Amino acid sequence: MKAWKILGVALVGYSLFAGLTADVPRLVILNETIRNLYFHVPMWFTMIALLGGSLAYSFRFLRSGGNGLPADLDRDHQARAFAEVAMMFSLLGLFTGMVWAKSTWGTYWTADPKLNGTAVTLLIYAAYFILRSSIDDAEKRARLAAVYNVFAFVLMIVFIGILPRMTDSLHPGNGGNPAFGSYDLDNGMRLVFYPAVIGWILMGWWIATLRVRLDRLTAQQTPV
Amino acid sequence: MALSSAQPYLCCVIRLRAIQQILQWEWALEYRRSNGWFLPLLFAAMVGYLCSLLVREPSPTVWLALLWMTMVFSALQTALRSFAATPGQWLYLNQLVAPTELLVGKTITTALNCLLVTWTGLALFSLWLGWPHLPEEMGQVPLWPFILSLSLGAIAISSTLSFTAALASKIERGTGIMAILSLPLLLPTLLIAMRASKLALLGTPIAELYPNWAGEILMAGLPLALGGLLFPYLWRS
Repeated sequence: MKAWKILGVALVGYSLFAGLTADVPRLVILNETIRNLYFHVPMWFTMIALLGGSLAYSFRFLRSGGNGLPADLDRDHQARAFAEVAMMFSLLGLFTGMVWAKSTWGTYWTADPKLNGTAVTLLIYAAYFILRSSIDDAEKRARLAAVYNVFAFVLMIVFIGILPRMTDSLHPGNGGNPAFGSYDLDNGMRLVFYPAVIGWILMGWWIATLRVRLDRLTAQQTPV
Repeated sequence: MALSSAQPYLCCVIRLRAIQQILQWEWALEYRRSNGWFLPLLFAAMVGYLCSLLVREPSPTVWLALLWMTMVFSALQTALRSFAATPGQWLYLNQLVAPTELLVGKTITTALNCLLVTWTGLALFSLWLGWPHLPEEMGQVPLWPFILSLSLGAIAISSTLSFTAALASKIERGTGIMAILSLPLLLPTLLIAMRASKLALLGTPIAELYPNWAGEILMAGLPLALGGLLFPYLWRS
């Protein structure tokens, strides 16, 4: 077992323990739900990191091949696996967010820019998987899926990264609501939050690589 | 296509002559086809009339939302049609121009078609649904910022749709998948376009509209630039 996997387990274990037991600031409305910062927010960081990985593999697939060489289909398997695991993390982020919203905003869902961003990300990658499943030829599927992946990722980043800053939002971190800005997050919380983010990204990366290995083994057993 | 396989990035040099050739070719073809530009126009008219039957005297926001929904689905039809060609026609086009030039040419065609649909749709909406009722105290609101917002939005929509239509045209039975691929990608464009046109309709000062117009131009340019980079990979077969 490699060191980064051990580090991931240790950091996630530490953040689970410290996240539930350590002291947190007492704030009105938020109360103890402020602990969701340790669980909800790392899911999004992990999702973006894994989608970035998926994008990189799609890009490497497109660069492979040519000049008489066959395209590298393994890169395509990696891109798909990373996108799949990223979607799992986005669903986890969505559910942890919805539970939190119910107790602080009083509703599971509002038309908030951040929530729209989540919905559009889920829809884009659902379309990515539908696109994959509707093409039979492996090389063509890999090529079209990679092209869509790159195209969709950039538009998604524009949507979740730029547009929310143009409008007001209820979400922490927007419109004067507290979040992990320099003056909101106290140093005690930082000591749990940053390790949680790094730990979950490492865990997500590990899960995705396991998925890739499973795919390769399945491909060996069932020759096409 | 010796261009696309070895050095895809070099394809981004666009010859104006090639764009002109595509546009002339499309123009000649539109005139010969019986279901030419008239088809999306008729589609927009039908949806518009349906809206006028279903909703009576909508608020400005509802009126505008219905107009945009009509436009998006008509634009889907337009974009799908612009990449529907016989294998023989594709062979001819691919020998004539490089992939990126093809995308740019097709985007311009789709955008022109969308503009036609938009303006017709706007005219029909104001005929059947009436112009939305604005508060009395606002007085006379100039029309051109509103039409500019709509037109920029239509161009932005067609630049995303041209690329997804090209992608869908590579899939057998791809027409159904086209809407699924493009609607989530259109969301940012539509939100910006809706806001720009709503502010313009309600008579907001022009200075406040500039950032929204800039956003619309960005959402027209970004998918086109990105599509231009990716198109050689997509078109290789």
